[in-house]
This record gives sequence, structure tokens and C-alpha cells, in this order.
Amino acid sequence: MATTAVSVQDLVKNFGDLRVLDKVSFDVEESSLTTIVGFSGCGKSTLLNVLAGIEPITSGKAEVVSSKNRSARLGYVFQSPRLLPWLTIEQNLVFVRPEGVDETTHLERAKKYLEMVGLKNARNKYPYQLSGGMQQRAGIARALCIEPAVLLMDEPFSHLDEITAGAMREEMLRIWQETHRTILFVTHDMQEAVELGDRLIMLDYHGRIFVDIKIDLPRPRSLTDRVFINFYSDVVKHLQKMQSIRAEELAALGVN
Amino acid sequence: MSVMTDVSPTSLPITTTRRFARSIKRLIFHKGWLAVLMVLVIWQIISFFLGGHGLVPSPARTFATIWEVLVTGEFFVQLGDSLVRLLIGFSLAMAMGMIVGVLMGSRWFWNEFFKDIVILGLSLPGLVYALLSVVIFGTKLLAPVMAILFASYPFIAVNMREGVKALDKDILDMSRAYKVGKWKVVKQVILPALLPHILAAIRTGFTIAWKASVLTEVFGATSGIGYMIRFNFQMFAVRGILAWSLLFGCVMLIIEYGILIPAERYFARWRPHLSEEVI
Repeated sequence: MATTAVSVQDLVKNFGDLRVLDKVSFDVEESSLTTIVGFSGCGKSTLLNVLAGIEPITSGKAEVVSSKNRSARLGYVFQSPRLLPWLTIEQNLVFVRPEGVDETTHLERAKKYLEMVGLKNARNKYPYQLSGGMQQRAGIARALCIEPAVLLMDEPFSHLDEITAGAMREEMLRIWQETHRTILFVTHDMQEAVELGDRLIMLDYHGRIFVDIKIDLPRPRSLTDRVFINFYSDVVKHLQKMQSIRAEELAALGVN
Repeated sequence: MSVMTDVSPTSLPITTTRRFARSIKRLIFHKGWLAVLMVLVIWQIISFFLGGHGLVPSPARTFATIWEVLVTGEFFVQLGDSLVRLLIGFSLAMAMGMIVGVLMGSRWFWNEFFKDIVILGLSLPGLVYALLSVVIFGTKLLAPVMAILFASYPFIAVNMREGVKALDKDILDMSRAYKVGKWKVVKQVILPALLPHILAAIRTGFTIAWKASVLTEVFGATSGIGYMIRFNFQMFAVRGILAWSLLFGCVMLIIEYGILIPAERYFARWRPHLSEEVI
């Protein structure tokens, strides 16, 4: 039995009158890669923000269970790089030094992960001197350098062109296999979700879990493999079912 | 290997010597010189027609007076007096403007509270503050200080408010997700983000402060550049008025080009367009 890294129990999150997450419950195993999919506005990003402590919880529980003495640190890779423009790439990594880690150790880690994402030579550059893809990689290195218990990724490749995004996905999988981090990966791209994840959680329009399935496809996965295509079409069927339920609900409300 | 390892520097570093040579070149080829030349020519023509009555002295005679004021050291004594008043008044204005501006930018209540007062402050001419403070405080140091404070703080407040409103919420959220300490966030996120606005506040506020200070000296002071302008006015010495006014303008330009613009450029070195300007 694998250890739990993230535990979410009956999580509810409201923004004013609007319920964004409705009784969401799931546990994530350590070192696994879980993808969370759903339409825009279904609460995917809110789920990560709640876990990261950026948004307060309305009710329920969402916690990162600490193990291996990592004091439950969270790395967060956002949709945009969110680097501080007045700091160099390396200084941006130094900025997030966690409490209890001394400066030398942290700097060494920063250098190590910058090398891992291929930014060794760009560490003294300012963000504006790098391309969008390179900035995003810096964001990934920043999340990794705190050696987090869990890595939260919120559509990290959606702003990139498909060729760069493809290379980044490959690279992310390599880093994941090297570092054994637990990853929660939010995306609206079903294909990306199936390609990357061990497990797929689909949220419906009401912020409830609609589907929660294991993806036991062999790696490396190829988008042209028969097994991959079969699995992917199953996921698309779930999606279609969700859409038809939504259409019925709207019809019942008298909306076209 | 994938594309990830292929990262090369995108620009060469600019050395200090190159930068210095560039600024000298920029000074020599500065387009503003043409405008100065034009003004001098027009001035010369006007003085040629009106000069007979001593109303408009020629540029040459005016520069002779400027030279005289400079070599006797008179200018520096008066400038010193003006600068002391200016620095005290302006420091107070900065403090007040920053407090008001930050409150307005961060809290809806304070924005509503100060909004009208600040707009009123922006629209009243410096002359009003100068006259009022001379009437109330006479020739005391407090007169120019108060005039400067009230004339320039609204400009600082407005700039600061915009700066606070423009703070990037995404970056602040990021700092929160990474549990970065409050003090570190202030030092490394908030202050650098506000810096361009602080500099803009200093630049506009300082110009207003200078004007208010000189105006106050015109009406109620026994020293300073403004006082010298009035003194020459009473003596009917147009040459003196022109000489002191021009010197005053030169000091403003020196402060602008010598301190404010370089400071702005230094603090904006992380921005592509301001730090690597092409000439």
C-alpha cells in the first residue's frame, strides 16, 4: 500500500454565492502523477489554489500529508511563469528559499535544477531576455528547487506552441521519473491528461468529481498507439456524457 | 537530447566605458541644442528691436550677468538657501504623498476619503499656496516648507496610488504559495514594483516643489533664488531677472539629467526598453 501524499475530504469552496468545488474527495499516492481535467471555470485551478493556501477553504479538508521529512512543502508551476522581472533567473529561485534551508544548500539546489531544465547558461539573465518556453522552464526549476513534497502544475504548457509544449511534456516526465515527486497536473487538454497521468480526475460543471480513473498504459506513451487511442476515446465518451447531462440540465432550466 | 539544453545568451553585456561614450555622444548630438539655438536667435532679434529701452537685454549681456553672479559666488549662497527649504519641504511632501497614495491605492475607503482633496490640491496653482503661506507664516522657514508640502504632495499621492493599484496579484499569490516571509515580499516584490512609480512621483513632485518654493521666496523671503528675482524686479533690472531665472532653469536641468534620469535608468535595468535604449 503506497503512502498518501495529498488528502482531500469533502472539500467545498464558494466564491460568494457561487459554489466552485462541491464535496470533492480524493487521495493522491506519493510519487504519482494525477491529472485533473475539466472545462474552463469548473474549479480546477481553484482546487490547486486551495491546496497551496492561496484561497481559504469554505468547508472540508485539503491537506498535503507530510512524509520523508519534507515538511509538506509545495511547489507550484502556474499557467504563466510568474517570475519577478527585476530578479535574474537564479535570484528568482533564491527568492523562494524555504524556512529552515540554509542559503548555500538552497543555492546548490537552484543550480542543480536550473541545469536539469536546461537553463544553466541563462541563470544570470533577466526574465525578459528569455523566450516564453525558457521562462516556463525557470518556473518549473523554481518549483523543484524547494524539493517539494507535492508539485502543483496549473496548465503549465498551455501558453506554449505545440512543438515546445511537446518537448516540455517529455522533459517533465523525465524529471518526474528522476525525482519521484508527487504531481497534481491540471489541464483542459484531454490528450495531454491521458498522455501524462497515472490517474485522471474529471470535474463536472458543478465542481464535483465526475470520473476518477487509473491510466495504466505503458510508458513511453505514443499518441498513435492503438491502446492509447482506445483509452483516449473512452475518456472522450465520458466527456460527451458529461456534456449531454449538462445540456439536459440547461434544458430543464429553460435555457437553450 | 531534446531542445531543452540548447540555451544561449540573447544579448551582450554593455560595459561602463561604452555606456559613458554613448552618453557623451548623446549629449553632443542632443536635438534639444537646436531648440536652444533657435531661442537665442529669436531673443537676439527681439532685443535688437526693443533693446534701446533696456527692456529686453541681449543674450550676450544677460550671460555676462550670469557669469558675474557665478564667479562672485552670490549664486551658490542663494541656491544653498533655496535648496535647504526645498529639501525640507519636499521630504515632508514625499512622506505625506506616499502615505496618502498607498492608503488610496490599497483601501477603497481611503480612496473615497482623500479623492476630492487630492483633486483639489492638483488643480490649485502653486501661487495660491505661496501667497497663503506667506500671509500665515511670514518670512519664517515654515512658509516655503508649507507651500512646497501642499503644492507637491497631491502629485506624489496620485503616482503612488497608481503604483499600488498596479501591483501584480499573481506574483503576490505566487509568493504566498511558496510561503515567502512578509518582510521579504515587501523588500523584493512590493518595493521594486513601486520603484518606477516612486521615481515618477519624485520627478513630477520635485518640479512642482521648486516652483512653489521660488514663488514663496518672491513674496516673502530675505534670501534665495526667488528673492533675488524679486529684488531685481524692484530694481527694474530685467537682465538680473533673466539671469536668475535662467540659472534656476539650469539647476533644474542638471538635477533632471544628472540625478533623476540616471536613477530611473538604473532601477529599470531589468526592463528591455529603458535600459538598452538605442540612439
